[in-house]
Amino acid sequence: MEYRFETIEGRSPGFYGLLAVLVLLILPGVVSTYLMYRHGIYLSGMTNRVPWGLQIIMAVYYIGLSAGSLVISSLYGIFGRAEYKPFARIAAYLALLLLIGALLSILTDLGRLGNLQSSFSHFNFLSMLSINPFLYNMYIVICAVYLWAMLKEHDLWVRRLALVAVLWAILVHSGTGAIFGFVPRELYQSPLLPPSFIAAALSSGTALMILVILALFRLTGRALDDLLVIKLGGLLGVFVIVVMYFLFVENAYRLYMAESREAGYFFLFGGINAVLFWGGLIGLGSIVPAVLLFHPQTGRSIRWIVVASALVVAGVLCERYLIVIPGETHPPELFRDWEIRDSPWEEGVVHYVISYHEVFQAIGVAALVAFLFILGLKWMPLAPTEARVSPRPAELGEGSPDGAPAA
Amino acid sequence: MDRREFFEAAGILLGGTACAYGLPLVAVSQLTAGTAEEESAAGGRRWGMVIDLRSCRLDCQACTEACRRENNAALHGDPRWDVHLIRKVQVRRKGAADAALKPLLLLCNQCDRPPCVQACPVQATFQRPDGIVLVDQHRCIGCRYCMIACPYNARHYNYKENPEWPNKDQPRSVHGVPQSCTLCVHRLDQGRKPACVEACERVGAKALAVGDLNDPQSEVSRLIATHPVRVIREDLGTKPKVYYIGL
Repeated sequence: MEYRFETIEGRSPGFYGLLAVLVLLILPGVVSTYLMYRHGIYLSGMTNRVPWGLQIIMAVYYIGLSAGSLVISSLYGIFGRAEYKPFARIAAYLALLLLIGALLSILTDLGRLGNLQSSFSHFNFLSMLSINPFLYNMYIVICAVYLWAMLKEHDLWVRRLALVAVLWAILVHSGTGAIFGFVPRELYQSPLLPPSFIAAALSSGTALMILVILALFRLTGRALDDLLVIKLGGLLGVFVIVVMYFLFVENAYRLYMAESREAGYFFLFGGINAVLFWGGLIGLGSIVPAVLLFHPQTGRSIRWIVVASALVVAGVLCERYLIVIPGETHPPELFRDWEIRDSPWEEGVVHYVISYHEVFQAIGVAALVAFLFILGLKWMPLAPTEARVSPRPAELGEGSPDGAPAA
Repeated sequence: MDRREFFEAAGILLGGTACAYGLPLVAVSQLTAGTAEEESAAGGRRWGMVIDLRSCRLDCQACTEACRRENNAALHGDPRWDVHLIRKVQVRRKGAADAALKPLLLLCNQCDRPPCVQACPVQATFQRPDGIVLVDQHRCIGCRYCMIACPYNARHYNYKENPEWPNKDQPRSVHGVPQSCTLCVHRLDQGRKPACVEACERVGAKALAVGDLNDPQSEVSRLIATHPVRVIREDLGTKPKVYYIGL
């Protein structure tokens, strides 16, 4: 069926109020970033033992979130699944913005932003942190061109670019996993990290898309067929299972091998890691959503799909924390037969305490992404006036979906 | 799928596979070609260090203090941000609670295959042909990936500006860039010994020696030839050039 894409009106007090709130959220981040640029990043919670903190967690989180959006977009573009066409433009635009958010998170984290030109003049082909920004920049360009093709309704180019975008997305997410996986540290080094990064990216991205789509259609009063959301929910359920499978293999390997057993215990049962892994990632972030999405009743209820999506989005944030931080707080084992008892420096297990400056930065980047997203809706015809599936809702079978508005 | 489509798809698949395997190969060939390891094997100098822990005393900080003055390493009085290019720790045999504590010096291992050089996105961390690993502070963007990549935690970051500037011949430590032991490359290039080695000789311990590993007559080569030596985490394949006697 034909969809009519239209910009949102964007003149209500609510619209401007929302933009104003977002600007207010951006400002503290700008101030914090300036202070760190001026005085040094000791203002963050990072230390010599934990040189990567919240901004890097957020960067990999954004990169992951962008994947799901693009995959949904490509379901239409590559596989011709027309029922996803209404979301294809929003998804591509959101993927682009999330990548910009990721790059901003990395940039605001740099200690010597003034030397940034050297990342262009002295590219290091061996560095994952050199290869990846190149992949990210290209990805932003590809998303932009893909979005342009959709706005212009160039169907042939939409299909071609969707394929390019998805292949490039695989590179982007494998590469991001490799930033950590290709490092000689007990809890980083792992060839499994690139594929498991893709899996977590798909689950968190799909979950975010569900939330964004629902909020958008409900807030603007546009019609959205429940079946579309239910289908996306089913897809999300599969992704969540795949993530759990990767987590299981990775941790079973760590515990099984004698040399990494101690590190494996630290990852699974060491203080905050245990809370975030079992409580955040596995419990609330995977098992509960999986049950909700696969259960015949809750899996067809928009309200419960929203709950499950929100849980997955939060759970994958825990997963990103667990990718970055435990590998740093866990001490490298320098000697098999000696233990360090005293040092002028921090040896042994350390803790990472997030400072409010970092929180301001993270909120600022998130608010900026939201700000640009909302403006984009006003300037570009991204969302359709209504989204309905071509087959009649009668094919749903018995048990009519609980179509309670969520936003 | 008709024949034309089939050949198109097959072509893309083959080309893609070639690229997917070819790119890492090209990158890795850079790893092995022209490393300091090979260049120095061709006849140049290859700096290394030997630490004789039998002569090192628990209560002595001569080398660490001399290093701090020489290289303007920041001491803020907070272990989270202090910069130790060389640090003295006390170690004990694992599982032996009543065993005596022993001193141990930790510093950059000047790896022959340095993960930090591999990791640096802007080639600010580099290795000289004589094997010394350095940071170009004017190129460094302060991303701290080298610290993540170093399995020895030898890189320390200047989180804060260093208020002190004791050695005006050496650059001041500005915030935003990492530092690690340079083997006092500025002294070696003048034919002098590193500050820590000099300080250790001054207190009469003579536990430290720096010299050319490629010269069989050098002090370090003779020490390595005549004593059982160990490097830290040999299993990682980084080929450290700081050798320990009595570890």
